[in-house]
Amino acid sequence: MFRLMEESGFSRVRSAVVPGFRFRKGSTQDAAESFGVKAVMMTAVR
Amino acid sequence: MSDAIEAQASLEGMLKDEILRMYQEVADNPSGEFHFFHGREAAEAFEYQQEWLDRAPPGAVASFAGVGNPHLRADIQEGETVLDLGSGAGLDAIIASWNAGPSGKVIGIDFNPAMCVKAKSQAAEAGEAMECHEGRMEDIPVESESVDVVISNGVINLSFRKRRVFEEIHRILKPGGRMSITDIVSGKQLSQSIVNDPKLWAS
Repeated sequence: MFRLMEESGFSRVRSAVVPGFRFRKGSTQDAAESFGVKAVMMTAVR
Repeated sequence: MSDAIEAQASLEGMLKDEILRMYQEVADNPSGEFHFFHGREAAEAFEYQQEWLDRAPPGAVASFAGVGNPHLRADIQEGETVLDLGSGAGLDAIIASWNAGPSGKVIGIDFNPAMCVKAKSQAAEAGEAMECHEGRMEDIPVESESVDVVISNGVINLSFRKRRVFEEIHRILKPGGRMSITDIVSGKQLSQSIVNDPKLWAS
């Protein structure tokens, strides 16, 4: 997404991981972690 | 139409149905258990201000299904026009409306018309007026260069055409306008079995 934002013309693209995000089920969380799935906050300026 | 394009269109159609079903269920049955945290429990984990959660209509809080807190960096100012992409049951739009004040304007976009009805109802209960338009994030039904801030919470990851979504956000923002979104990203290419499964993609 970061790259897509820049390629769409946005500047000052910033991102940070959302620390409190987890899936409810441990098995889902484990599967998500194996794919590097995480929640992020992103900001950008047109 | 080529087979590949037909397959993509078919998958998008199934995905749309699954997303409608899942998030409608969160809105209709917020006491249910889902694979993601939702409601006040989730909002508190994402550092939504207690004051907001106490002040917002309980129905909007209970149906909250975001993945973070876009308000932490949105820095919405009095009088600004804010667009909430995928406004759901309306909690983020209501908070944006408080921050933009009476001289500001909040526009919700949701591809489920029932969610727009719910969001506007919740906003009215909070004493706020918001527009909400049925529409897709790949084709946002808003004039070009008309929005100061775009917020979104856990929605863009659901699109098969994310580049198009960001091009649309760029189109509707005023020069110097900004976006503050929270969303799910994957560090690895998802397997084709996940991509082809609307239930997994929608989650």
